[in-house]
Amino acid sequence: MRKFTFALALMGSTAITAPAFAESHLPIVEEPLELTIHMHWARAQGYGPGGDTSKIYPVEEVAREKTNIHLIDQTSGRNSTDQSEAMNLLLATGNLPDIVGGAKVQQPVNEYGPQGAFVPLNDLVEEHAPNIKAWFDEHPDIWNAIAAFDGNVYYIPYLPDGKYARAWFVRQDWLDALGLEQPDNVDELYDVLVAFRDQDPNGNGEKDEIPFFVRDWEEVLRLLTLWDARSTGADVYHQFYLKDGEVAHPYAQEAYRDGLANIAKWYEEGLIDAEVFTRGSSARDYLLGENLGGMTHDWFASTSGYNIALADKVEGFNFIPFLPPKSVSGVRIEENRRIPMKPDGWAITFANEHPVETIKYFDFWFSEEGALLANFGVEGKTWDMVDGEPIYKDEVLNSGQPVNSQMYLEGAQVYRGYPQDYRYEWQWTRESAREGIELYDTEDLLVEQFLGVAFNEEEQAVYDKYYPSIVTYMLERQQAWILGSGDIKEDWDDYVETLNKMGLQEVLEVMNSAYARQYS
Amino acid sequence: MSDLEAKVGGSTEELVIEASEALRTRKASRIERIGDHLRNEWQLYVMLIPTVVWLLVFLYKPMYGLQIAFKDYSIFRGVAASPWVGLEHFQTLFGNDQFLRALKNTVIISFYGLIFGFPMPILLALMFNEILAQTFKKTAQTIVYLPHFVSSVIIAGIVITAFSPSAGIVNTVMGWFGIDPIYFLTKPEWFRPIFVGTGIWQEAGFQSIVYLAAIAGVSPTLYESAVVDGASRWQMMWKITLPSIMPTIIIMLIIRIGNMLEVSFEMIILLYQPATYSTADVVNTFIYRQGIQGGQYDLAAAAGLFNAVVAFVLVMTANTISKRYSRTSLW
Amino acid sequence: MSGVKLDSIVKAYGAVQVVHGVDLEVQEKEFVVLVGPSGCGKSTTLRMIAGLEEISDGTLTIDGRVMNRVAPKDRDVAMVFQNYALYPHLNVAENMAFGLRIRKESKEHIESSVKEVSGILGLDKYLERRPADLSGGQRQRVAMGRAIVRRPKVFLFDEPLSNLDAKLRTQMRAEIKRLHNRLGVTSIYVTHDQVEAMTLADRIVVMNAGRIEQIGTPMELFLNPVNSFVAGFLGAPPMNQVKAVIADGDTSPVAKFGTQQIALPSLPGLQNAVGREVIVGVRPEYAEVVTEAAPGSVSCELELVETLGSEALLHMNLDGEPFVIRTETLGNMAKLNSVNGFTAKPELIKVFDANTGMALSGQTRVA
Repeated sequence: MRKFTFALALMGSTAITAPAFAESHLPIVEEPLELTIHMHWARAQGYGPGGDTSKIYPVEEVAREKTNIHLIDQTSGRNSTDQSEAMNLLLATGNLPDIVGGAKVQQPVNEYGPQGAFVPLNDLVEEHAPNIKAWFDEHPDIWNAIAAFDGNVYYIPYLPDGKYARAWFVRQDWLDALGLEQPDNVDELYDVLVAFRDQDPNGNGEKDEIPFFVRDWEEVLRLLTLWDARSTGADVYHQFYLKDGEVAHPYAQEAYRDGLANIAKWYEEGLIDAEVFTRGSSARDYLLGENLGGMTHDWFASTSGYNIALADKVEGFNFIPFLPPKSVSGVRIEENRRIPMKPDGWAITFANEHPVETIKYFDFWFSEEGALLANFGVEGKTWDMVDGEPIYKDEVLNSGQPVNSQMYLEGAQVYRGYPQDYRYEWQWTRESAREGIELYDTEDLLVEQFLGVAFNEEEQAVYDKYYPSIVTYMLERQQAWILGSGDIKEDWDDYVETLNKMGLQEVLEVMNSAYARQYS
Repeated sequence: MSDLEAKVGGSTEELVIEASEALRTRKASRIERIGDHLRNEWQLYVMLIPTVVWLLVFLYKPMYGLQIAFKDYSIFRGVAASPWVGLEHFQTLFGNDQFLRALKNTVIISFYGLIFGFPMPILLALMFNEILAQTFKKTAQTIVYLPHFVSSVIIAGIVITAFSPSAGIVNTVMGWFGIDPIYFLTKPEWFRPIFVGTGIWQEAGFQSIVYLAAIAGVSPTLYESAVVDGASRWQMMWKITLPSIMPTIIIMLIIRIGNMLEVSFEMIILLYQPATYSTADVVNTFIYRQGIQGGQYDLAAAAGLFNAVVAFVLVMTANTISKRYSRTSLW
Repeated sequence: MSGVKLDSIVKAYGAVQVVHGVDLEVQEKEFVVLVGPSGCGKSTTLRMIAGLEEISDGTLTIDGRVMNRVAPKDRDVAMVFQNYALYPHLNVAENMAFGLRIRKESKEHIESSVKEVSGILGLDKYLERRPADLSGGQRQRVAMGRAIVRRPKVFLFDEPLSNLDAKLRTQMRAEIKRLHNRLGVTSIYVTHDQVEAMTLADRIVVMNAGRIEQIGTPMELFLNPVNSFVAGFLGAPPMNQVKAVIADGDTSPVAKFGTQQIALPSLPGLQNAVGREVIVGVRPEYAEVVTEAAPGSVSCELELVETLGSEALLHMNLDGEPFVIRTETLGNMAKLNSVNGFTAKPELIKVFDANTGMALSGQTRVA
């Protein structure tokens, strides 16, 4: 086995032509050094292709050859696909490997790091990781965002690239059929939706159109931005957001009251899918496939695929992105965007006897060479450098398999800490989606994101005590108002009072104190 | 006799000494008896070992972890090293209106389940027992057992579709009678009937197996005797079958009462909405949102311990009542 | 007239016939016992009378009415089952009242009937008990009480005593007989125990392999079995049966077996029958022991003596075949161990055809 590995590595080395990064000193160690790793994420429970640890990622082969560091799988909870469960199992056994990585490591690492389970990385990065340091020097807010409450950084995150995630889509062929323009503001949007409802754009003689639909009901809340309210401040729903440099909750704002009142009105008028709360993930397939849905807010990449998929089924089908309509005050924003850092990545445990070598190894993946390897796979095998750009080979792009799935098996795009390169995704993004992204790039639509805070123990206790009940109450009231049981304008004062009684102010206080500590 | 006379004649001191000696000899012989017993019956004890080990490892050892209900638990620090916080977690729970609401919902949903869900498998078993055509019987049984083997996610999907206001069968049928469609799954007042009904549909068939087995154990001559006595099928069902399986019914009822607070929570998570929390949120879903999702295992353990204590009290009560009034009991 | 008449009753399960055309007429108030080895069809016949089994062919008449297609409850019969068939959840009184309740009899009638019958059966003290708290004999009494309270035209008993121990069985047997004498209800009783049959029956029906072998009073069957099967089935111990060949004797025919012979009665069936293969039947009670070979005696070897008190069973070896002799012990004890043969009165010896098993001898009467 060892001989075989060695031979492969030799073959790999002859293929690699990328220039060495100036500050890197490769290999990191003269004699091969084995480090154990826990790597648990959705696509692989274990550090091997698809979780099969008896095989070695092609990317790992090259990394071994380059760095002389060999990652050896020691993943806990491989029989579960739940990362938190696996992490708990790992921590509870106390037998920690050298490196802990995978999805959703941020919370446990930042909670148990200060307790001594993980090594603080600040000094190690400063002294031994020039590439990581260079990246975060350019993004200091992200460095702050990943820090634990004690100010130390305990993990190197997976850093997604690219800006837009979801966008507004409309049936352009319906607009054309009714002689309408794409709606440019909230009033025009209302008129278009009414027209979709009343004027039989699908031409079947029945009033069965569903003007606005979504897959996750929370996407309906994006409509709030049309009345200058917010639905969330991050890439997950119902999150705190930054209002004039302070942490605030979007569902406790007066703009929210007005926006939600309008959403309730639209829902009652039949402009929003009546079954929005239970339609679920098949809503898009069903409503587009049956020629019933007119408009949605959904992912660029997947939603742009319907023009091809439904070309034969629905005559003239043309579902395209359009710019977010301007709000009542004339502001045009796209609230949803890609988060710049994920809670995924990797960390060094207290059991690791080679923290310096390990941070140097982490740093390798931030070097130009390492980043290309982490993003695109092995050069010459899955991609070639053409005019200074990494370009996938045709057999990768046209294999019939999604490129990301192929990369996962190569060992690229795996949830190690590395900077993602959007060129990877752009190459296999459909033309229609690219056009949409370019359209969204014509204006400055993005708003500042709330990247989260790390609580100390007292703050965490306050948050745990109050917040889960508060958010439950907020969502209960929210759905009730949309469904028309109760009028938000009448109930508002009671609602705010209840939120305060439930401890919203206390939660905001710890939020802001943590925020001030972390981002000052 | 002469011995006794001698003792009566002796001093009290002597008597005490003799008595204790007598006791000692009796004790020794008892130990000997146990030794003999072990030597003779050791095979039985060897057979007992796996069960005892299983109980110790899977039921008693985990009880050690229950103490985190009284601790500020950190997975990394471990159970022993986490600091004690007394009843803080219980205070947190009972100081939370949503927990109290969840408790109320749990009791109500369980109670509905008991009232409507418990008799169903019994009725099904009685009905199956009356079916004479074997092919029809087997087909019918397979059909009602089937939902038990389908994953909750699919069951929930079927329920959501069935109750959809636009395409669901329920609203379609209501439409024939001129009733306006209802968006059932967002109506708090409809959640419990739908949930309990789903539970019955999913499990009643499978649970009827226990009762069918009990019915199969009823001596056929009881029926023959009743036939000669002139009992109709209906009378036989009520006067023979039902009373004969009553012990099984009572045992199942006691077990069911013990599980009162264990509402099938994955089904609730799949079916509920914030809009229906007011009737749908149960202790387990509350804990799920509050505790597990937020990593508050100590709080979850406190709620679990509370559940267990309530269940224990319920089972003890039900068992005592049953023992007193029906001669049937779990122990 | 609440008699029961079976006319060519047949029971078949598909192509397999288990009862092959049974003819039987039970008179009113008569006590008839169906007896035979297990699987002989006696229980099936009884269950056809009760209506628990469908009658495949033939006619069943009870009280002059054809009952083939009449539901069990309308046949006015009551049945007592081997395992009592008591309802475990009901107490004695409720068990006895069950049939009456089903028939919606008045409360007063039910109460008085149960009281009366429990008095007859001596169950007064146990009326509140559940079957689980009763002894086997008491349970059987309750089962009978349940049948009696209904005052049916016909009682059907399906091996009611076979779950009881020997002592109880004897006791209950007598009780059933007394009860029948007192109530005088037509009864059909199935058992495999020939002692029960002998003691209870007005008439016994011996069945074998789905057919009736012989019908008659107990003594008729005991003395004059029509074939070797009936001869072997009734009596305890059963009749000794020895293979033999007919030969001419001095005054009457003799049966030769091995080197020995025994004198047979001069019967018409034995005339000119020299050389015919027969089975010679000698009841253990009718063999007289000898201690020294004498004219007419058959010598055999003593293997074992079983003393039963007033009587003893001598297990002999007759030319390699077992032969049992029953003899009185009074005054005989001293010589029992030196028995080496027996004699038998010719008129008490039965002769059966070796091939058909049918009796060749004539009637024996006991004065």
